[in-house]
Amino acid sequence: MNDCIDVPLVIRGQVIEDFSETFGGRQGESRFRTADAKRYLSQIVADKPSDMADLYTIDFDEIVDYLARLGQRLKLNENAYLHEAFELSKKTSSLSESILRHAYEMIPGFFEPEMTRQVAANTVGIEFLEGWVPLREGVKVRAFGARAVHIIAGNVPIVGVATIVRNALTRSDAIIKAPSNDPLTATAVARTMIDMEPHHPLTKHLTVAYWKGGDEEFEEQLYQPKNVEKIIAWGGFSSIKHISGYLQPGIDLITLDPKQSGTIIGAEAFESADRMQSVAEKAALDVGIFNQEGCVNARVIYLVCGTDDQGVETAKAFGELLFQAIQALPETLSTAHRSFDPALKDELDALKFVADEYTVIGGKGSEGAVIVSHESEPVDFARDLACRVANIVPIDSVDTAVKSVNAYTQTIGIYPDSLKESLRDRLAYQGGQRLVSLGGATNMPSDAPQDGIETMRRMCKWVVDDTQ
Amino acid sequence: MKPILDALLEDPKTILKSRYNDGFEVAGGELEPFYLAAAKKKFDQLATKIPALKRLAAEQGIDSISSLDDLVLLLFPHTVYKSYPLSYLEKNRFDKLTKWLNGLTTIDLSGVDASGCQSIEEWIELLDNTTDLRLLHSSGTTGKLSFIPRTLDEVETSALVLKDVIRDWYGDNVGTDLTKDPLPLIQPSYRSGYQTMLRTGEIQAELFGISEENRLYLYDDRMDADLCSLAGRIRAAEAKGELGSLELSPGLIAKRDQFVAREEIKKESVRTFFQTAIDRFGGQNVFLCVTWVMLFEAMSEAKDQGVSNMFGKNSVLVTGGGDKGYVLPDNWKEIIFEGLGFDRAYELYGMSELMSGCPMCEHGNYHISPVVIPFVLDPISGEALPRSGTQTGRFAFLDLLPETFWGGFISGDEVTMSGFDNTCPCGRQGPYLLPEIRRYSAKEGGDDKINCAGAPEAHDKAMEYLLNAAR
Repeated sequence: MNDCIDVPLVIRGQVIEDFSETFGGRQGESRFRTADAKRYLSQIVADKPSDMADLYTIDFDEIVDYLARLGQRLKLNENAYLHEAFELSKKTSSLSESILRHAYEMIPGFFEPEMTRQVAANTVGIEFLEGWVPLREGVKVRAFGARAVHIIAGNVPIVGVATIVRNALTRSDAIIKAPSNDPLTATAVARTMIDMEPHHPLTKHLTVAYWKGGDEEFEEQLYQPKNVEKIIAWGGFSSIKHISGYLQPGIDLITLDPKQSGTIIGAEAFESADRMQSVAEKAALDVGIFNQEGCVNARVIYLVCGTDDQGVETAKAFGELLFQAIQALPETLSTAHRSFDPALKDELDALKFVADEYTVIGGKGSEGAVIVSHESEPVDFARDLACRVANIVPIDSVDTAVKSVNAYTQTIGIYPDSLKESLRDRLAYQGGQRLVSLGGATNMPSDAPQDGIETMRRMCKWVVDDTQ
Repeated sequence: MKPILDALLEDPKTILKSRYNDGFEVAGGELEPFYLAAAKKKFDQLATKIPALKRLAAEQGIDSISSLDDLVLLLFPHTVYKSYPLSYLEKNRFDKLTKWLNGLTTIDLSGVDASGCQSIEEWIELLDNTTDLRLLHSSGTTGKLSFIPRTLDEVETSALVLKDVIRDWYGDNVGTDLTKDPLPLIQPSYRSGYQTMLRTGEIQAELFGISEENRLYLYDDRMDADLCSLAGRIRAAEAKGELGSLELSPGLIAKRDQFVAREEIKKESVRTFFQTAIDRFGGQNVFLCVTWVMLFEAMSEAKDQGVSNMFGKNSVLVTGGGDKGYVLPDNWKEIIFEGLGFDRAYELYGMSELMSGCPMCEHGNYHISPVVIPFVLDPISGEALPRSGTQTGRFAFLDLLPETFWGGFISGDEVTMSGFDNTCPCGRQGPYLLPEIRRYSAKEGGDDKINCAGAPEAHDKAMEYLLNAAR
C-alpha cells in the first residue's frame, strides 16, 4: 500500500502531468500524487457561459455516436488507462479482484447506443434536449446543459462512468471531483476521450480533478455562481456540510444521500421447500452482489413467517438457505470480503453473548453471515451491516416492515410481486424510493429516477420561450 | 520465578501489599511462564462460574489453558458489555437485562426481580441494594452504554492500585500516599453517577477519606445513566423509522435540557470553577483529576489573567485523554504546570474494563503491570503477534485482578507494544505501549471517502453534546 501512484489532472481536453501534491496514505487509502488544483482553478472553471455554445453545434445523434465510439475503446484488456485504474482498485477497493474485473468489463455497456438513447428518452426526453418543445400555443421549453461540479462516490467504479454519460447526454459541462477511494477511473475515461477526439466539444466539457473535500481556499473560489450552476453531490453529512457553506442564490444543489435498502418477503415464500429455496437464492443476489458495497444491497430482511416458535424456526431455516446461497454466488458477483469490517466483526462476535435473542449463521471469518433475530427487531447495528452480513427479522404482519421504511431507504426488494403491488403506495408514503421484485435489487435501471429524484432533469436548465 | 511473580501467582491482589515497583523490575523474558500459570489458574477459577466464559470455552473446545494461544481464543470482544439489544431499554425489559448481565458475572442474580424497573438508574440502584455488584456504565460515546459488572471490593482494589501508582511511580514513597494524606479533591465533573470514572472516583474519595468539605466538583449533582444512554437511543429510534418512537419522561427531558444548557456555558463554568478552587484551596497541595485539554484551556486563561502557581508543590494531577483533535501549542505542558504551580502528573492508559491502568513514564510509554497479561493481535486474523520485538496491532489482555468477572478482553484500540526483549529508556522492565494509540474505527480509508451506501446520522444538537460530553 506504500506505492504512490500518479493521477494526472484532466482539464477540458488537456492532460496535466503535475504531481506536486501527495494525498491519502492512511489505513486502506490509496496514496497518490496529483496537481495542486488551486493552481489550475482558472482553467478548471468554465467562467464564460458562452463557451457552452459549442455543445450546440452537434446534434443528439452525434452525441450517441461519440459515446458509442468511446465505449468501444473502454475495454479493460485493451485500454491502458482503465487497466491502470483497475490495478489501483485491486489494491484499494473493498471489492475483490474478480468482482472488480466484472465491474470494469461492464463499462462499455453504458455507452451502447440503445442504452444511451433509452436513458435520454426516459429520464429527460430527447426532444427537450434537441430543441424547443411546444407545451401549448406560444409556450415552448428546452432543456439546456449546465455547468456542474460532481462530487461522486468511489465505492463502485460505475458512478464516475455514469456521470460522464449523463454529462454528455445533457450537453453539460462537468467538473468531476475524483473520489479519494477511486481516483483513477473517471480520469481514465477522460483520457480515452482525449486520445479519441481531443477537440470534440464533449471532450472539452469534462474536467476530472482531485482536491481534498473541505479545502476552503479552493472550494470558496470554485463554488461561485459565475463558475458553477449546479452541484451534484453524493455522500453523507460531512460531504454535504462542506458544500452547504458555499450555497448561495444561483447555485442548485442536488444531493444523492447515502441510502440503505431492505427486503420484505411474504408468507407465500414458505409454501413449499422448493419455493423457499428459490426465494433464498433470489434474496442472496440482493444481499451479495458487489459484496453488499452498494446502497441497493439488501441488509435487513423482514420475513412474514410469524414470531411464534414455529415462525422463528422457519426464519432460522430460511437463514441457513440464504447463507448457503450467498456462499454459492459466482465469484464475478460476490466473494468473501477482502477486508471484513473489524467493527462489524466485533458486533457479530458479541452476539454470542445474547444467544437467546439471535442465531448467527456463518461469521467465523470473512465469509459473511446471516443473523436471525428471534423477535421482530433488527440488530442494533443494522445500519452498519456490510460485507455480506444480512439480518433476518421474523414478523407477524407486513405492517412492521412497512413502518421500518424511512427517508434513508432506497430500494425495497419484495416477494412476491403481488405483495409489491399491494404495498407500493404505503412504502412510498414512508420514504421508500424503489420497489423491485426480489432478486433484482442490484440491477438498477439507469433510465429511471434515482433516490426519488429525476437527477438528469435536475441537471438541466429548463428554459422557456414564451410568445405572448 | 522472581518472588513478586510467585506472590502474584498465589494471589494477584498481593500487588497491593508488595512493593509496587517490583512489578517493573521483571525482565520481559521472565514473564512468559508466569503469564501461562496465572492465566491457567484464573481460567480454572472462573470458567465454571461465569456462564458466558463457560459457553465460549465449550465452543472453542478448551477446558484448560495449555498455551497463551488458547487464552487468546477465550478473550471477550470489547462489544461484550454492550451486547444486549437496545430494545431491552426501550421496552423497560430490565428482567431480561438482568438475565443477560448474569451471564457475565459470578454473582448470582437469579433472585433479583427487576421487572418493575422503569429506568437504568432504578435498575442499578436495585442491583446495589440486593447484590454485591456495583455496576459501572460507559459514557455512551459510541451510542450504546456498556454495563460492567464489578463488586465494591473490585472498585476499591482499582482505587488502591492508583494510590500505589501515585505514591511510587516516580520512586518508592516519592509521591503522596493519599490514604494517609487525603488531599483536597478537585474534579471538574459531576459529583457522582454510575459512569465508570464518576463511580470509581466517588468510591475512591470515600476510601481515601477525603472529607465532604475537601471536595470540589463542577456540578454538585449526579450524572444520570438514562441521560447518557439517550444519544444512542435517539439514534436507534431514528434508524427504525416510524417504529422507533422514543418516549422520554418529563424528568429526563428536564435533565437533558439542563445538560445542554450547562454544556453551552461550560467554558465559563470551568473558569469560575478554577477561581473557586483557588479561593478554597490555593497554595495547598491538592488532588486534581482532569483531562489535559480542559486543563490547558483553564491554564491558558489563567495565564492571560496573570494567575500562576495556584497550588502546592506536592499536589497530584491525574490526567489523560489525549488531545482529542485539539491543536495544542508546543509549550502546552509548560503553560499548564506554570499555572498549577506543580508538575507531578500521572497519565494512565486504561479503560473501564481494565482494573489497573498503565502509567506513562517520562519517555511517553505506558507500562503494563504484571497483573495484566498483554497481547497485540493481528487486526484481521485475531491471532496473537509474537511477544518479541515491537508489534503493532489490536490491544488485548487478561486482567488478573477481577474475581467476579472475566478480565480477558479484546480492546478496540490499535497499539504498538514493546519491552519483551528490550527495556524502555526509563529503565522499567517488561512490556510497554508506545505513545501512539488510536481507535479502530469505521473511518478506515480516510475521511474523504464517499460511498453511496449508508444512513445519515442524526445531527441533533443535544445529541452532539451528549456524545461529546465524555470524550
